[in-house]
Amino acid sequence: MDKKVIVLILDDEPIVGKRLKPAVERMGCEVEVFEDPREALQRIDEKTFDIVVTDIRMDEIDGIEVLERVKKKSPRTKVIMITGYAMMALAREAMEKGAYDFIAKPFTPEELRKAIAKAAEALGTPLQNSVTQ
Amino acid sequence: MRESEKKDAVDSEGAAPVTLEGHYERIKAAESAKKGLLARPRYTFRMQLYLSFLLVFLFAAATGAILIFVSHEVEKKQRFLEIVNDYMLEVQQARRYEKNFFLYGTNLSDALENVYGAKTIYAGDEDELIRILGQVRHSQITKNLERYETLLKVLAELERGRADNISYREKIKEIEVELREQGQKMVSYGQELMKKEKESLSETILRSRTIHVYALAFLLALLLVNAYLLGRRILGTINRFSLYAQRIASGNFTPITPARRFRDEFTDLAIGINQMILQLESREAVLVQSHKMRAVGTLTAGVAHELNNPLNNITLTAHMLLEDYKRLSDEERIDMLKDVVGEAGRSKAIISNLLDFARESTSHVEPLDLEKMLKETVSLASNQLKLSGMKIELQSTGYLPRVHGDSQQLRQVFLNLILNAIDASKKGGKIQVLLMPADDPGYIAVKVVDFGTGIPEHILGNIFDPFFTTKPKGKGTGLGLSVSQGIVAKHGGRIRVTSKEAEGTTFSVILPVTTIPADISRSPTSS
Amino acid sequence: MTIIAISSDSYRMGREIGEKISKRLGYRYLDREILKEISAGSGISEGKLLKALEKTPSALGMSARDQAVYLAHIEKKVIGEFLKDNVVCHGLAAHLYVLGVSHVLKVRVLSNPEVLGKELAPGKDLSGDAMEKLIGRNENARKRWSLKAFSLDETDPSNYDMVISLNKIEINEAVKSIAEAVGYKKFKAMSYSLKCLKDEETAAEARTILFPRFPDAQVRANGPTVVVITKGMKREKQKKALIIKEMVGKIPGVNFVEVHIVNDILRQAAESLR
Ligand SMILES: Nc1ncnc2c1ncn2[C@@H]1O[C@H](COP(=O)(O)OP(=O)(O)OP(=O)(O)O)[C@@H](O)[C@H]1O
Ligand SMILES: [Mg+2]
Repeated sequence: MDKKVIVLILDDEPIVGKRLKPAVERMGCEVEVFEDPREALQRIDEKTFDIVVTDIRMDEIDGIEVLERVKKKSPRTKVIMITGYAMMALAREAMEKGAYDFIAKPFTPEELRKAIAKAAEALGTPLQNSVTQ
Repeated sequence: MRESEKKDAVDSEGAAPVTLEGHYERIKAAESAKKGLLARPRYTFRMQLYLSFLLVFLFAAATGAILIFVSHEVEKKQRFLEIVNDYMLEVQQARRYEKNFFLYGTNLSDALENVYGAKTIYAGDEDELIRILGQVRHSQITKNLERYETLLKVLAELERGRADNISYREKIKEIEVELREQGQKMVSYGQELMKKEKESLSETILRSRTIHVYALAFLLALLLVNAYLLGRRILGTINRFSLYAQRIASGNFTPITPARRFRDEFTDLAIGINQMILQLESREAVLVQSHKMRAVGTLTAGVAHELNNPLNNITLTAHMLLEDYKRLSDEERIDMLKDVVGEAGRSKAIISNLLDFARESTSHVEPLDLEKMLKETVSLASNQLKLSGMKIELQSTGYLPRVHGDSQQLRQVFLNLILNAIDASKKGGKIQVLLMPADDPGYIAVKVVDFGTGIPEHILGNIFDPFFTTKPKGKGTGLGLSVSQGIVAKHGGRIRVTSKEAEGTTFSVILPVTTIPADISRSPTSS
Repeated sequence: MTIIAISSDSYRMGREIGEKISKRLGYRYLDREILKEISAGSGISEGKLLKALEKTPSALGMSARDQAVYLAHIEKKVIGEFLKDNVVCHGLAAHLYVLGVSHVLKVRVLSNPEVLGKELAPGKDLSGDAMEKLIGRNENARKRWSLKAFSLDETDPSNYDMVISLNKIEINEAVKSIAEAVGYKKFKAMSYSLKCLKDEETAAEARTILFPRFPDAQVRANGPTVVVITKGMKREKQKKALIIKEMVGKIPGVNFVEVHIVNDILRQAAESLR
């Protein structure tokens, strides 16, 4: 069996992680969910993730900062930014700093799954069970 | 709605209606003021001016007439004095001839002639003489003249019958005594007449001089009174109008009510100003409202973004519910639906605050809990702050007396200041909102502190000017501070600013603590 | 996965640069040639489409409504092409309607005044002064056109990612710089920007449908939702909304149409002020 794609989802909105976890796990990924960016960063330091999904506007730590930390630690990790504050400037900033994708809230689980599938493919570990409704 | 309108119609007695409803009240007030102004009796400045000139003219004319009369009198007296003089000459001449006769026996007929002359002169102005001398003296003089003449005639008779020598001499002797006596009397009467006449003349002249002096003095007094009355009326009115102008400039748009007894040129001005006030007020109301809507527009961006979070939660939950419906347990489904319901409520909360602020409300003066109000305002701006990654701190010293005011309008003021602070701050900056007693007792200060760009000294004097902005077109209108200042001034407060370039800016809104509802629309208008 | 939108004061210059870049990067090149296709698809003559891109509506010439319709057709087609990716586009005003799409690199090329002068007044030998005036007039005309058509100032540098003046920089250098900029990560396509582009396409399509009847409509799309704002008086509101919903609802992929009929404030104000 292939090595599982390991995904970290960070959003200070608890519902996001709660709903996305099963949705992404269904793709055959291993998913860890965080609400607190500090804890997430700590975890990122400990463990290398294949894909990180992070919100941008969070109280304590900015998602862009998370992106930078992830990229610094593991350049191959694909980071997908999700934000309710989507704007061209922010999108470009995120991309420039190495984000793999940028998704505006609100999005459907399917949209994120597509982005994750694409990222996994780019990583060379395509996911088998792409879920369709 | 209908009811609240009605209520406001009553309320606006003591309110500061910047809103349109309040404005209608003003229109009514201005209408009634106009009626009141026009109902006054008409007495214009022009009328007063004409009247006073007429008065002065009449007085001058009367004085002139009197003086003409007096001078005529003097003239008459002078002429009469000449006549008296002539008379005296005749009398004296007669006496001289009389003397000659007794000395040399000549000139008797000349003397007689002179007496005739004197008599004719005397008779010529008999009436006047009677008036001056009185009847008694007059008849004495007449008698005296008659007698003198008679004696002269007798002498002449004697002269003719000279032959009878002895009796002639004696007779002449006899007559001489009486003649002299009569002659003396005649002269002294004449002198008396002369003296009286002279006195009368100088008296008349004196009288004329007195009239001159008094007339002048009176004229002066008349002119002074006129000038005073007119001046007081004009200056008083101008003063009042300059007070009105100041009042209007300070944002008090109460119409001018009739304060004077008469209707005049300034009444038209007052009506014109009332009209202008209405215009100004409606413009200002529109300005305040439109600036508010602009702020709302700015806030909407933040709200729209913030709204994406609950929307996302709903979307994700709903999709997962659809996807997994069959697989889920009842509890899980309920939990998901609860999430949806909860997030929908959150969405509503996010917009309701803004909607509440955006609502065009009637003006309302009420006791305000500034701290609560500031909390609301801060939460109103919170999305904006999040958008630019900023923090805001609200601090209050607590236990502060309340202020009276219009919460909608004051919220607009604080919001403007906070939005300005956001614009001036860097990403990730901090803004402080402080609520504390002001330095002056009886005042409360709300300070909005930022640590942004600061305001360069050379523009510090301009920032409250309408349309002054350093922001790019489309971002700033430059009305924020000007509108805010207008609102605060209406509340009897003021806005202060201290700033240091590159260090930050502090705007302080200083509001009076009021024990009675703030009198922000009424001020002493009529006096 | 990037799109380059070139705007130039000189069509020839823009074209030259556009072609060179497309060759260099292996991108497709798109310019007014495509008007033929649009004309075939929409039944609007090529001349009219070209006029919409060049002329400001006037009382005697093309009406504002016609221009809006023509431009909507161009927009729809061009965005459709953009969605196929790797495109260099020039002369189709793309920089004005994909302003908010992050993976479109918007470039303004300012040509040499002499070249421009020759292009504006072919065959004439103008003096420096007259040329300057001519160029100034041309710039003003473009500004007016862009403001009228898209409420944006085409000549405003802040609307571009890159402004290159050929007065200072050689064509080849310019091409090189642009090609290099395309490589920046910030201009990479992503879910969000693709969605923006897709939304623009939907909106453009809705415009092609709505503008003939409601030329003042403002249209925005967000996924399957289309929002239409238009002015109207009270009594026609409901009917108007229904018509618009039906018209726009036909577009494939659109499942919800939101119509806001705002009170015609100007008209109302004008009436109430009388
Ligand atoms: N906190 C601040 N720090 C630095 N400058 C400020 C601050 N507040 C105001 N200013 C300056 O004062 C000017 C006028 O402010 P004002 O609020 O009246 O208008 P604006 O903010 O430019 O426009 P608007 O409020 O309509 O958006 C601003 O353009 C800015 O230059
Ligand atoms: Mg401002």
